[in-house]
Amino acid sequence: MIGLGARTLFSKEVRRFLRVPGQTLLSPVVTTTLYFVVFGYSLGGQLREVDGISYARFIVPGLVTLGVISNAFLNTASSLFVMKLQGTIVDLLVSPLAYGEILAGFIGAAVVRALMIGAIMWAVAGLFAGFDLAHPLFAAVMLLLVAVAFSALGFMIAVWASSFEQVNFLPTFIITPLTFLGGVFYSAHSLPAALRSLTLVNPIFYLVDGVRHGLLAVSDAPPGVGLALALALCLASVGGAYAMLRSGYKLRG
Amino acid sequence: MVPEPVVTVHALRKRFGAFEALRGIDLDIARGEIFALLGPNGAGKTTLISIVAGLLRASAGEVRVLGRDVVSDYRLTRRAIGLVPQEINFDPFFTVEESLRIQAGYFGVRLREERLVEILTALDLAGKRKANTRSLSGGMKRRLLIGKALVHEPSVLFLDEPTAGVDVELRQALWSYVRLLRERGTTIVLTTHYLEEAEELADRVGVIDRGRLLVVDRKEELLRRHGGKTLRATLAHPMATVPRELSLLGARLEDGGKVVALDAGPGGSFGPALAAFAQAGVAVQDVETTRMRLEDIFVQLLRGGRDGRGEAAARREDH
Repeated sequence: MIGLGARTLFSKEVRRFLRVPGQTLLSPVVTTTLYFVVFGYSLGGQLREVDGISYARFIVPGLVTLGVISNAFLNTASSLFVMKLQGTIVDLLVSPLAYGEILAGFIGAAVVRALMIGAIMWAVAGLFAGFDLAHPLFAAVMLLLVAVAFSALGFMIAVWASSFEQVNFLPTFIITPLTFLGGVFYSAHSLPAALRSLTLVNPIFYLVDGVRHGLLAVSDAPPGVGLALALALCLASVGGAYAMLRSGYKLRG
Repeated sequence: MVPEPVVTVHALRKRFGAFEALRGIDLDIARGEIFALLGPNGAGKTTLISIVAGLLRASAGEVRVLGRDVVSDYRLTRRAIGLVPQEINFDPFFTVEESLRIQAGYFGVRLREERLVEILTALDLAGKRKANTRSLSGGMKRRLLIGKALVHEPSVLFLDEPTAGVDVELRQALWSYVRLLRERGTTIVLTTHYLEEAEELADRVGVIDRGRLLVVDRKEELLRRHGGKTLRATLAHPMATVPRELSLLGARLEDGGKVVALDAGPGGSFGPALAAFAQAGVAVQDVETTRMRLEDIFVQLLRGGRDGRGEAAARREDH
């Protein structure tokens, strides 16, 4: 049973992002919708096909994954880092909340935000390209694992960071490039051998590929690979965040 | 030995890199007392209470609250502690009421309406219940911090510089509230720069400097042991030199020869001085005696501590 402390933190974090919906919900939806309209639709996307499906439909899973990844990461990273800056982290550190409860509260809220964004984006894209949901359970589990993994990663970065620049480093210079180069806009089959090899060592490629299997029933790699990788990332980042919290690193001097 | 310690600190050390902020602190805080921890900036006051409250981890030593270790039994000890931090913090996403309810929730407590109203009224925040914390004045934000520290009804309340930057009126109101809390059984530990605050509120005082406790004693005892006094006699007729009978007692002239001043050490008396005035035939118009205040004793202890005498005092008086 989840204690009142963890539920309070979870509810507080959810209310926090719901109070600035323009920034936390609308903005990513607008941005990703623009990607969809420009890449998938306007630039002749509806005329092309990838793996036998229209290009507009092909890019939906990647854009949904991109939205889930970045919002899961940003929710924990920005919330925890701002708490550190404002000093309200003290409220949590003096409380009897267990490490697992603190993590559950932060990650739970970030997952809610990320999945809300993912669902809204899927619905918006559906208006343009049609509503694809080939394997709903598989897609839901994939996106849930991805959200948990990246929210825990955001937690770790916020604990470690001493400036907003450091908080933004990972999403700007690593996550976003890896996501864009991870098969959001193309199939690995269509790439020259050298680029294909690079794509195949990008972990985010397998996450996007797994979600694509869940939504469209097409994938470059066996879907189990994406699922296993998402689970492994999830365990590693949650384990890392827990270990950081337990050690008191940068939080308890 | 202090009866029924609520907080026990033993051989506590804290190191930040090469800097040793606490260098072997031993201290007991008794149930129901108001304990003032005094020291200059960087003395280790905040570090000490932060370790007890769980904000920092000790490098060595042991801290127990209600007999439980603050690291291995942190869930129990933190429920017993309320901390009002030195730095004002507030979450601009929430109202005063929401902030209090959230803090109570972290402690596993559902804040009852009566308790909420009681806290808001006591801290003069009832009119701001639905106000966003961002809109509060500095004094209100500080009072909200006190409210947040009280929502779970802690046994021990730590106030780290509670009245820093607070106006006189509010300071008096906060002092009254601290006394009320103590009457209800809450143990209070406060750190302060205002010696007046410690003199006004504290039952016992600890003086800390450079990570060491120089003295821990009851306030009255500290004043009795260390607090000398000064007698100032205003003369009917100004004098150019101090008569021999009085100069033997260390008297000096002040205010252009209109006043004769004499000091007496801790426990000393002015009986011989009054006799000397009569013996010398000096006509005295008025007499005033002043006691050393805690502030003077504090400065004296710090000086002693820095030239080595403080450690002797600590050995003699520490509990």
